[in-house]
Amino acid sequence: MEPLFQSSVDEVGRLLGLAKDELEILEDADSAADELMVSEFEKYVERKYNPEIHGVLKRRNLMGVPIDAKYGGRGARQLVESLFMERMGQTGMGVITFADVHQCLGSLAIQDWGSEEQRSRYLPSAARGERIFAYGLTEPEAGSDPGSLKTSYVRDGSGYLLSGSKYLISNGSIATDMIVFARPSEGNGGPTAFILDTKEKGFSVDMRLEEKIGLFTSDTSMLTLDGAFVPKEDVLGLEGKGLSVAYSALLNGRIGIGSGCVGVMEDCLNQVKERATSRVQHGKEIAKHQLIQKQVAFIETSLEACRWLIYRAALKKDEYEKDPKDLGLRADADRLSAVAKYMSSRGAFESADRAVQCFGGFGYSILSPVAKHFLDSRVARIYEGTDEIMELKIASSVLGREFEAYR
Amino acid sequence: MQLHLEGSNDINSPKQRVYSLLTDPSFISRTLPDAEDVRVLDGASLEAKLKLKVAVVSATMKMKMTVEKTAPPNRASLVAEGTGSGSTMRIRSTFDLSGDAPTTMTWVADAEITGVMAGMGSSLLKGYANKKVAELFSGISKAVEESA
Repeated sequence: MEPLFQSSVDEVGRLLGLAKDELEILEDADSAADELMVSEFEKYVERKYNPEIHGVLKRRNLMGVPIDAKYGGRGARQLVESLFMERMGQTGMGVITFADVHQCLGSLAIQDWGSEEQRSRYLPSAARGERIFAYGLTEPEAGSDPGSLKTSYVRDGSGYLLSGSKYLISNGSIATDMIVFARPSEGNGGPTAFILDTKEKGFSVDMRLEEKIGLFTSDTSMLTLDGAFVPKEDVLGLEGKGLSVAYSALLNGRIGIGSGCVGVMEDCLNQVKERATSRVQHGKEIAKHQLIQKQVAFIETSLEACRWLIYRAALKKDEYEKDPKDLGLRADADRLSAVAKYMSSRGAFESADRAVQCFGGFGYSILSPVAKHFLDSRVARIYEGTDEIMELKIASSVLGREFEAYR
Repeated sequence: MQLHLEGSNDINSPKQRVYSLLTDPSFISRTLPDAEDVRVLDGASLEAKLKLKVAVVSATMKMKMTVEKTAPPNRASLVAEGTGSGSTMRIRSTFDLSGDAPTTMTWVADAEITGVMAGMGSSLLKGYANKKVAELFSGISKAVEESA
């Protein structure tokens, strides 16, 4: 196994315990990350989506890591899912984004909120990699405030017709199915979550958003829904209660993104250590220069702190899932996932910035692995909950709901 | 930056024959992938320009290779050194032969790379190196078997 990941696995195993089948998932993750290294680099330099991400995860049976084994998934608890995402994060946020959206936002939303019929219909094929999920919440005028979304639906015979625009949707143009949020076209009802088949006539990809400043190997798209039909069997959860689905999916997704950011920090540390111990300037390896050592110390400290914030958030979520009626546990899981995501996304970006500095001129090229992390990790402070929203959530969890600043 | 690679291949040819071909610069010169201006210098060494491509990064390396017959017919080494396109490379590879038709060649290679290519990091270069080395040894195995 990659050494820094091995040390995570060993320590988690020693302190918290990891079962044999859980270790097998992590071995598969290690192999998949190795296998993705070359294609991720090539596609990154071309600034194109990397289809090998889906291919490798499917081949290695890693498309349904957190999905219950009875639906064909690997049945991983959150702690193991986080370790999986940590290792994948070493290859970059492009891989993390694909996996997080498909597994945490898509598949887990169906597992948590779907009927038994929906779970049986969707999850086995999602776990086999025969489906790819996207998550259609964000719109051009509704980002941090999903309650203000404008995509609407009307009833039509045996289902609903959805119309609107969705923006900055990861996996948007490659998804077979999408969790889409829309509000009733009339009345004041809240949004509803739907499972939309992207082959539906009224669904189209407006454009692939390829002008991002990073995250080149992740597919990001703008989508149009123009009377896209969803049968009534594909309402997810209760009509009008879609925001509950949305927020619980985001809790899953945030721990996933934060875990990936830990992997980014691990790779930055590996790259800096290798570079600094071999590059010679002023007659000695740059690792012997104190100002380089300062950068190394920062990255290592950030990594260790964020690792354990993530593991703690994961453990709290696992605890909550054993007792889903305990709202106190849910609130704790929500708070800790926000803290962990906030710290890890900032830690990853800062670490990548310092790693670029350690590489000097070569660090300013997308041919350098640390430049890729620098460009990609910036998005982690924005998507699945901006830094600002995380700060407000964390503050209101301490102060009380009556102090929530964004209501 | 340092890279360590290892692997093994089976060659359907007697050990003695495999050994004598693998330590013959003329034979090696015919099996190098993406090589040009290949010149055998003497019974133990050759020179060649090797084109290396890692995604969009291309480098033409002028390499000198020297064979060391450490322990015939079981073990030999190949040392390759060169520079080009802002990078330098030094590779020491050792191969051990066991069995006899088929002969198993077990090899280990340690490379030290500096310059522009080193900046890409060993984890990425290892992925490429593994692919290239697999091509090289597959070519060598085929050439040995066909020369019988």
